[in-house]
Amino acid sequence: MLQGIQHRATQNMQKPALLKVVDHFGVKRIVPLEKPIFTIGRRPESDLQLLSSRVSRDHGAIIYEEGTYYLVDKGSTRGILLNGQRVTRSELHHQDQIGVGGDKDCQIEFLEETVSAIFESSQDLNLSQLDSTTGTSAKDELRRLARYVEVQQAFKFSLTPDDVLVLIVDAAIEIANADRGCLMLKNEAGQLEFKVARDSKRKLLSRADFQMSRTVVQDAFNENRSVVVTDCLEENQSMRQSALDLNLRNIVCVPLRHFQMNEKTMGATETIKTETIGVLYVDSRQSQGAFSKSTLTLLGSLAFEASKSLESVRLMHEEQEKKRLEREFATAREVQIELLPTTFVQPAHFEVAAYSIPCRFVGGDFYDLLTLEDGRAAIVLGDVSGKGISAALLASMAQGVIHAQFNSGLSLPEVLTSLNRVLVQKSDDNRFITLFCALIDVDRTLSYVNAGHNPPILVRANGGTELLETGSMLLGAFDFAEYQAQETKLEPGDVLVIFSDGVTEAVNASDQMFGNQRLEELVKQNEGLSAKEIKDRIEQEVLAFTRGLPQGDDITLVALKMKSLVP
Amino acid sequence: MEINPRTDGSVTILDLKGNLTIGSGEEELGEMIAQLLNEGRKHLLLNLADVLVIDSSGIGGLIKSFTRVKNGGGKLKLLNPSRNTRQLLSITGLLSVLEIFDDEGIALSSF
Repeated sequence: MLQGIQHRATQNMQKPALLKVVDHFGVKRIVPLEKPIFTIGRRPESDLQLLSSRVSRDHGAIIYEEGTYYLVDKGSTRGILLNGQRVTRSELHHQDQIGVGGDKDCQIEFLEETVSAIFESSQDLNLSQLDSTTGTSAKDELRRLARYVEVQQAFKFSLTPDDVLVLIVDAAIEIANADRGCLMLKNEAGQLEFKVARDSKRKLLSRADFQMSRTVVQDAFNENRSVVVTDCLEENQSMRQSALDLNLRNIVCVPLRHFQMNEKTMGATETIKTETIGVLYVDSRQSQGAFSKSTLTLLGSLAFEASKSLESVRLMHEEQEKKRLEREFATAREVQIELLPTTFVQPAHFEVAAYSIPCRFVGGDFYDLLTLEDGRAAIVLGDVSGKGISAALLASMAQGVIHAQFNSGLSLPEVLTSLNRVLVQKSDDNRFITLFCALIDVDRTLSYVNAGHNPPILVRANGGTELLETGSMLLGAFDFAEYQAQETKLEPGDVLVIFSDGVTEAVNASDQMFGNQRLEELVKQNEGLSAKEIKDRIEQEVLAFTRGLPQGDDITLVALKMKSLVP
Repeated sequence: MEINPRTDGSVTILDLKGNLTIGSGEEELGEMIAQLLNEGRKHLLLNLADVLVIDSSGIGGLIKSFTRVKNGGGKLKLLNPSRNTRQLLSITGLLSVLEIFDDEGIALSSF
């Protein structure tokens, strides 16, 4: 697989270059530049993330244009230095020193990737020194470096979490020239959990097969440091013993760390936490002398990249899950909007307008307008106790029951009795619905039942205001509740406003409630307007009243206006 | 929410103090009533003088308690609900089922 990736990379045509980075924690890394725009900053999405308060979130970038690399400052607070001079945009040359944020702690060197360049840079990694002491050749070291760069590129492609783990272990084995390796990650209980193990022939090893030096692993994990055990090095007598017990000659165990920036306020104190999230372990039974410094450095870099990679994978999954939930909520919202339309086919004898705004994604208020066979119109507005999804589900059910029962020809009281029984049976003890339900005949007779709901306001065209109450009980409380309708005659120009308590209980910045009084006044003032205009006015007033404060409850309103006699 | 029981003859008076809202009070009330019914104490008077806030969950608690006691062959009545509580009970039509009293003496003699 990796050979394929390499092939693709060389087809890219971008002149190869890399950055040699020693960051604030002393971690040395080699970072290849293989994108036309390579970002540097504090943000996790940066191609080179530098964790320091002197580095801006989006500090700068290295841009590749027509065969040349340029260092660009993206408006950072403290600037970018090129060989000690502050620049905004400048060409980059081999071995240029880049300073980010004027910070001496972080050293970045730009290197063009020719064979000689790599050799020169690897001088710094003490390759030549190791020739005699470790018996490894410069060629081996170069190969390791190349392998590391390959792995870097592979990380960038989207791999499944398991692929990433295997890749990390394989790379570690190769870099350390080990017999086998394994990766362990901290689980939710804070314990190290075996994840994957491989041998040098790329064979997957099971947990049972993989006996390792537990003391080495524990020390690396608990003390957050690399542990190296070799023939020549005596870390600790007990550790050596456990290794020897297993016939192991050389062990390297590197902690995987997760860095977290805690930004308290904009630009103010930022603390950096490091958390050990796992370990990368390799061992071998052959005697190969001490591990070279470059090997250890590369393993360190690998661990760093691995941690980042694992973190991205985790974040990606979290993000996907969050998006999935959001889509579900949005769908639920759409369904509810369909059930509660804002425009209606207007009946012959009156105008009607309505709106409903849930407090959360979906709400517990509902309303409906039905035309029965005999020409009568049924209007209903209900408020389910509670908010959110559970209330919305019950609201939908209630709307359905009412619809069905009216269509079966039941009378107004019978419809309510029926719904009440269903609720008492089906919902748990704390689900109630307050409801106002009315029938308007073509001769303008209004018969209505108010089941525990805040009374609708009836403003008469000839002056006078009434509140429509019948004293019936709310639905869902007692199955023996009885419902009786009352009647009144409506006249042309009469305005009826039915609403949920989210309107009258809406609160402003001074903690005052909108209140019944204010609503009544509003309707009276605007009674000459059409139903839609009245609805709009009230909606705007409530919005202005609460002025930007979060909504406390579902808000629903239905406005009816009896049509004038046709001349 | 605190519930302090006391007796007067055959009636157990529960002095409630605090809020009867979601997550607060409803469960304790249910448990207390279940226990009292077990002990054969079937006449209950809930003193709501010190209950300031009551929401739909609280109303649910009252309804549930009423039904439980009724099913157990007893009676549950309310004493001194606050103005807000009284208004809520009125609008929701529960006053036709839940008896309320302003005077403890009269309440006790009604059982």
